Amino acid sequence: MNKGHRGMLFLIFILFGILVSMQFRSIVRSDSDETISIRELAAELEYERAEKARLIEQLNNLEAEREQLLKNIGERLNNNEIDWLLRTRNSEFFKAGLTPVKGKGIVIVMEDAPEIGELRVEEYIIHDYDINEILDELKANGAQAISVNGERVVTTTKPVCAGPTIIVNNNRYPPPYVIQAIGDPDILYEAINSMPTVAFMRLTGIRIDVSKSEEIVIDRYHPYKSLNEMFKDMEVVKGEGF
Amino acid sequence: MKAFRTISLTFVCLVLGIMIAWQYSSVKINQVLAQYEKEDVNQLIDELLMEKKNNENLKARLQELQREVDAFKNTERGDQQYIEELKQAVLNARIMAGLETVKGEGLVITLKAGGLIPVEDRHIEELINELKASDVQAISVNDERIVAMSEIRNAGEYIMINARQLVPPYTIKAIGDADKMESSLNLLAGVLDKFEYYEFEVDIKREKNVIIPAVRDIPIDMLTPVEQ
Repeated sequence: MNKGHRGMLFLIFILFGILVSMQFRSIVRSDSDETISIRELAAELEYERAEKARLIEQLNNLEAEREQLLKNIGERLNNNEIDWLLRTRNSEFFKAGLTPVKGKGIVIVMEDAPEIGELRVEEYIIHDYDINEILDELKANGAQAISVNGERVVTTTKPVCAGPTIIVNNNRYPPPYVIQAIGDPDILYEAINSMPTVAFMRLTGIRIDVSKSEEIVIDRYHPYKSLNEMFKDMEVVKGEGF
Repeated sequence: MKAFRTISLTFVCLVLGIMIAWQYSSVKINQVLAQYEKEDVNQLIDELLMEKKNNENLKARLQELQREVDAFKNTERGDQQYIEELKQAVLNARIMAGLETVKGEGLVITLKAGGLIPVEDRHIEELINELKASDVQAISVNDERIVAMSEIRNAGEYIMINARQLVPPYTIKAIGDADKMESSLNLLAGVLDKFEYYEFEVDIKREKNVIIPAVRDIPIDMLTPVEQ
């Protein structure tokens, strides 16, 4: 055997061995670190969501129990002041958005453009400022109750935050985005359809369906937070005897 | 024999070449994948933190509700105690709706144009959004309480809020955690940086007793309550 050939073969096989082991390690690693941490995070998120569903069910049960108890108390005690307070409670909950309501109004359904054209990608996507502008337009035109994907808009509702999904009242919703508003259907319909923002969004293929409705039902706000906690730094200046 | 050696050497070199190319592309793909996964991880972490916070809040809310229910369940209590509980519930709802004048520690921010750019609805809105993001408890602009259905819009030289015309300078009052609100306004490239660029004259004062008036009216004539 030729000595030079042997030496070359030796070198080639060493390189070969190193490459095989590197390849193997790279495959193993890509499957461990990142992927597993994603899996762990996803599992943890899944757990928190299940926990949330369980807590919300408990919350709904307790709220139903409280309403029933209040009704019983009113009937049992037959006390004028308590009756008056129960009635006042209903009317104030109504104004605070803590009662489900219905009425005439409009429904807006929005969805990103199905395909991207010649403009920048951002022009084909619904942005948070678009949604917030629509909400403002509804408010300015006399909407009395609004919901976004079923979440009631109340005083503490933060501006909608959008990405590929939107966050309203700390809950995430995927498209289509559905805005319901109770108010004068003709005025609201006209106002939304004549917004320049809406016209431009439609031009790029973003879907915005506006329809009038004789009866819209909007759920109440579900406070997920203690009300005492929410307003803990304030005191009432001149209450009306409450 | 010599031919065999040449052929085998050629073969080994060929395999080696293919492997190098494979290795290269696989490393590249892994890098791209890792980038994607990193984005996913950040999003997952944000989402996880949000849901954890939600659950924490929900637990506190459940405890509060349980106390209320226990109080209403207790049949040995006198009428007066029920009355107190009910008053508290009514008051909380009124505070939430913005129907009570409230007082507390917070910020008083005055804002007016200093250069050519006038203060517009979107500037006020940006400021309010920032305050809301730091869990503000009550806000007013020129003493117009911001409630659920308050609009903030330009109308010529004015800004309309709650169907009232407001003129500059705009005074925004906010009750809440003053530290949190101030640091969120002062964020790098945040609202205040933007206002400086627009040459607005901004003054932020911290006050112990910020008083925010109640909203005048919450129209509900088009709403019918739904039996739960």
